[in-house]
Amino acid sequence: MPATDAHRAVDAVWKLESAKIIAGLTRMVRDVGLAEELAQDALVSALEQWPGQGIPDNPGAWLMSVAKRRAVDHLRRSQRLDLRHEQLAHELERAEPQPQPEADDVLRLMFLSCHPALPAEARVALTLRLVGGLTSAEIARAYLVPEARITQRIAAAKRTLAEGRVPFELPDGPELAGRLSSVLGVVYLIFNEGYSATAGDDLIRPGLCLEALRLGRLLAELAPDEAEAHGLVALMEIQASRSAARTGPTGEPVQLHEQNRGRWDQLLIRRGFTAMLRARALGGPPGPYVLQAAIAVCHAQAPTAQATDWAQIAALYDALVRLLPTPVVRLNRAVAIAMAHGPAAGLALVNDLLADPTLKDYAQLPGVRGDLLARLGRNGQARAEFRRAAALTRNTAERAFLLRRADTLDATEPSASSVERPTERSVPNAERPTEPSAAGLAQTSEPSGGAEPPDPSESGLARDAAPSGRTLGWAAEAFLDRDDLDPATARSYDQTLRRLRLSLGADLPLTALTAAEVARVFATAWGAAAATTWNRHRSAVRSFAAWAGLGDLAAGLDRRAGTGAPTAPIGPERLAALQSRTDVALRERTLWLLLHESGAAVTAVLALNVEDLDLDDRRARAGIPGPTAQEPRTDGPWVSWRAGTARLLPELIGDRTRGPLFLADRRPGPARRPADGDLCPDTGRGRLSYPRAEYLFKQATRALDPAGQGLTLRQLRTRD
Amino acid sequence: MRYLMMSKTTDNTPDEKLFAEMAAFIEEMSAAGILLATGGLDGSGYRMTAVGDEITVTDGPFAEAKEAFGGFALVEVRSKEEVLELGRRFLKIVGDGESVIQQVFA
Repeated sequence: MPATDAHRAVDAVWKLESAKIIAGLTRMVRDVGLAEELAQDALVSALEQWPGQGIPDNPGAWLMSVAKRRAVDHLRRSQRLDLRHEQLAHELERAEPQPQPEADDVLRLMFLSCHPALPAEARVALTLRLVGGLTSAEIARAYLVPEARITQRIAAAKRTLAEGRVPFELPDGPELAGRLSSVLGVVYLIFNEGYSATAGDDLIRPGLCLEALRLGRLLAELAPDEAEAHGLVALMEIQASRSAARTGPTGEPVQLHEQNRGRWDQLLIRRGFTAMLRARALGGPPGPYVLQAAIAVCHAQAPTAQATDWAQIAALYDALVRLLPTPVVRLNRAVAIAMAHGPAAGLALVNDLLADPTLKDYAQLPGVRGDLLARLGRNGQARAEFRRAAALTRNTAERAFLLRRADTLDATEPSASSVERPTERSVPNAERPTEPSAAGLAQTSEPSGGAEPPDPSESGLARDAAPSGRTLGWAAEAFLDRDDLDPATARSYDQTLRRLRLSLGADLPLTALTAAEVARVFATAWGAAAATTWNRHRSAVRSFAAWAGLGDLAAGLDRRAGTGAPTAPIGPERLAALQSRTDVALRERTLWLLLHESGAAVTAVLALNVEDLDLDDRRARAGIPGPTAQEPRTDGPWVSWRAGTARLLPELIGDRTRGPLFLADRRPGPARRPADGDLCPDTGRGRLSYPRAEYLFKQATRALDPAGQGLTLRQLRTRD
Repeated sequence: MRYLMMSKTTDNTPDEKLFAEMAAFIEEMSAAGILLATGGLDGSGYRMTAVGDEITVTDGPFAEAKEAFGGFALVEVRSKEEVLELGRRFLKIVGDGESVIQQVFA
């Protein structure tokens, strides 16, 4: 047997046996991290010995006894050798020569790897690794993430379990239900990632589906009295039965009602029905997985799409939404109700979900909405929704499918499309506008520097004879594409407009962009954001609306008050008191007074260099560093001061002739050497950083702040 | 990937031990989610042949008893190596004999 073949054979054995081995070892050494290491050691021995000697009759038992010997060695060698380890090592040695893993060990291992103390992603990775026997590289490939991230996730998960001293025991009573639902959740999460791959080029990643099915079947055998475990298996078997029918010849998704039912895998359907019968036989009120499986059974039983019992499915969703009122379940219920009682009824329910923040990036929502709108004959809106869904999905095949659906609607309704599509653009979606037409938006750009926005009546859009031809995406591109926006502003505006486009669709006609729509997007996206964030997005929308002549799009958005007090300027008496304090260093006193007297921005003042200062004229021009380290500093604003600062400056400067005016307390360490411009050539110290300056001021002013937080440097600026 | 494992009938007379080991093996494969379906096969069966428009039915697909398949298992595995390992374990249990394994395309 060639070495690579042998290695692959060993790998296959490992995948079949590792869960039992790791589980058995974990029971013995009470540490899942150590158990896995020992099992891996045993695997290395297997790789050395099996290619020459052949695979033993019972490879699992072979690996187990090697690992157990390693465990004894490890415990004896361990630096932490104490009575407990000694006893453990002794017990291990005395145990029967062919250690038989206990039946429950693997179930315990599943509970451990799906422990609620771990974040969901870690549970998935750890379960695939410990129970599924996959390597980090395989998990990373399945999830399209770098291997290092998976390795790190697994290491962190093991650390969390060890530090939390999570016991390797089966929970009982009420805790069991909670822990079991975590395990079920992880398995279904893996299945769903495989079944409706959220990213990448394939719509289905069969490897993950297969792993999830395996884990689910294993779990159902290990916990045969849990109806939900059988329900989950039934659900997954029936969903998996449709895999072959779910994609067309070019990999495009085929929706359930259009699938060729002849391609459904009858074997899996039958297995699903069997699992469902086992779940039903256990009795009790149906849980979420049993209900979802019942819905899947309804679909599987229908000989044709038309024969589907939608009334029954809608009723099952009514029950499900009571147990699991998640937005996704509510969306699916809306689909079922649309099928049972007509698209209008479904659309009303879907519209209720538009304001749900958790669905703001969920491509299925506009997808479903587009479908219902199309069935109601509202093709223009449907098309916009499909394009919006396409912009949201990360799955290539799905995006192509959604764009094709949008285009099909174009073809079927030429009259509607000529009204709602910009005539000058033939390529849909996300194309940069080439040259805006004569009365185009670029000419009417807003002057920079915070001046008043132009009068809407002057705007190109307002004058444009056919504003209905403009779309949100097109206008946003033109708005951002001006030369007079500085990069920071453009970036900030871009964030706001990107969200608007994603939420409302780039193809939304500008005429349909209303204050109410904008308010809805704001509530969904930034409802919980800080006041400054909210206000920043609000001003971006106002600026955009003014530029495009769209009226007051921010009408529904109240300016939010910040947390108040901290922005109030500090009074002269308090400043004088600060200056007279003996515990405040000269550097701080100078900085604070300079900030107060100049009213300049903190960044500008901290950027001052000694050579910039004109002590006679009491002013200096700060250099503003370029956006990257290579770019030269450009001239910043003038900073000028008065007598107070002028008295302090000479002492602060001392003998220095060049370099930062305000120096850090210490020299920078070798690893954190700042740019040359930020180093003092005389003392080797770096430039005082904004955070440090802010911290010192906060410390010094804590007593002045009623909230005990201390004041901020910005409060030193005089406001008149 | 799915594989169909078929085992030829043997002269070995099954004993209690073999039944017990086989049952444990099948149980384990089911629990692991590997075994999708399994069953025994009647070696006699029927053979149908089409020549032109003529379809003839004759008794028995296998002329020789040792050519007949005695049972099958449909398994779902991650790799060729896994199914070969399962085949190895199966043969360890039933003793001398022959198995044929073919991948099933859905």
